[in-house]
Amino acid sequence: MSRRIARALLTHSFGAMLVAAAALAHAQNSSDPIEWLRRIYQATHNLSYVGIFVYQQGEQSETSRITRLTGTHGNIEKLEALDGEPREILRTNDAVRCYLPKSQTVKVDRRFDHRGFPTLLQGEIDGLTQNYTVALGDSERIAGYSCQVVVLTPKDNLRYGYRLWADADSGMLLKALTFDDKGRAVEQFAFTQLTIGKVTPAEVKPQRTTAAWHVEDAEVAPVNLEREGWSVESVLPGFRKVVEVRRTLHSSRTVEQVVYSDGLAAVSVFIEPLSAEDKPARFGLANLGATNIYTREVANHLVTVVGEAPAASVQRIADAVNYRQSH
Amino acid sequence: MNIKISALIDGEGSQREFDEALAALARDPQACECWRIYHLIGDAMHGHDLLSREFGVQLSERLSREPAVLAPRAIRSRRERNRWVALSAAASMAAVALVGWLAYGPRGTTLSPAPLAVVSPKVAPAQGPVADAKPDVPARIPLPSAANDYLLAHQIYSPRVTLQGLAPYIRTVSDEVVEKGGR
Repeated sequence: MSRRIARALLTHSFGAMLVAAAALAHAQNSSDPIEWLRRIYQATHNLSYVGIFVYQQGEQSETSRITRLTGTHGNIEKLEALDGEPREILRTNDAVRCYLPKSQTVKVDRRFDHRGFPTLLQGEIDGLTQNYTVALGDSERIAGYSCQVVVLTPKDNLRYGYRLWADADSGMLLKALTFDDKGRAVEQFAFTQLTIGKVTPAEVKPQRTTAAWHVEDAEVAPVNLEREGWSVESVLPGFRKVVEVRRTLHSSRTVEQVVYSDGLAAVSVFIEPLSAEDKPARFGLANLGATNIYTREVANHLVTVVGEAPAASVQRIADAVNYRQSH
Repeated sequence: MNIKISALIDGEGSQREFDEALAALARDPQACECWRIYHLIGDAMHGHDLLSREFGVQLSERLSREPAVLAPRAIRSRRERNRWVALSAAASMAAVALVGWLAYGPRGTTLSPAPLAVVSPKVAPAQGPVADAKPDVPARIPLPSAANDYLLAHQIYSPRVTLQGLAPYIRTVSDEVVEKGGR
């Protein structure tokens, strides 16, 4: 490049300016925080790896092993809880299977469209900048990997902020911290050990399940809640409706689910009829790390809003749920 | 009972009435609500700024980190005046703990009641049915028993998974978290 610049300088000053501008643009690109988000996304999808990570929220922490095999016949990812009950979760291209040894149950969940898991499209990554300021932080070392820090600071207090640590070489996400509007940690995921590559198919098989286990396979179908008299428009700036489905929950109950997202955080609204046989529901706010769950009653229905967003945002979406008697 | 709680707030009434009021607060959500409302009225009348929402949580968290307050046996055998001081201190500690809970209420799984050691069994039993307390709006409730099902159904559409893979699902599988929250 420098030789070209030198040559250009000798031949034509205007040409020199163009080449220098191109060189500068290239330098800026490599330190582009959006480019880093893209690298994290690609690493998450394209690498095979096995590692131990710790999840922390409040005073609780939990250790798990995560194994991912990326192959020509599809991708398989397995999560094993190493503390407490030895639960396992498996994700294939179109389904998530949750193996619960205590109740000898396999819970199967699928996306109704069979399109696989949410993919972060080019436009969606760029769209994040509408709601978050994305910036690069320092270099820090996590689990032996030298990482680039990427910080997503929300532009309002409707959502949480994120601090991400990505391996400088592969882009693999080594640590993720969610913080609130006062900068306090809400929850954190961090690898304590990670090996990239070298994963065999045997490593991503469920370990404990047998044919005798009870299978709860969720049925999911698209639905139009507006047509059924529900008003479920998003009231949170930056959050748009992603999907609207009717599905089974816990094998027997049928619920309607609407999901809103700002490209990074998601909030689900679940609506189900209240019946006399149900034990009385408790209304109010429950919290699990960055996830808030707000429960209320609307027109003799139980409305449960679940989201990785501040309590006030989750409550705002819940309070906006309305039912029109006739339409 | 409301009169006794009112007396407790004003520092009036007999020791027996204090004990009864504190015992009621530890056990009875209605009494807790009464205590909360009286304080709200008091604050409003005196023109005090309302405490920030985080205040109660921070106080409770700091209390829970404090070493247990053990009253040395010697204090009990001292003169009546000293005993009274010790009992008042214990009552204040219990009251402070209650204020902490009432100002914010239990926070699902993350906050356990402050492990207070109580000087005398006659003074407020600090361990109470905290989960039944009625805190401010919105009410803090334990995780719903179906929380795992909701989380599982929710995560599948969360873009977080695209950045982080399966890791966020660890929130889904924590059977124990739900059980603890449901206490």
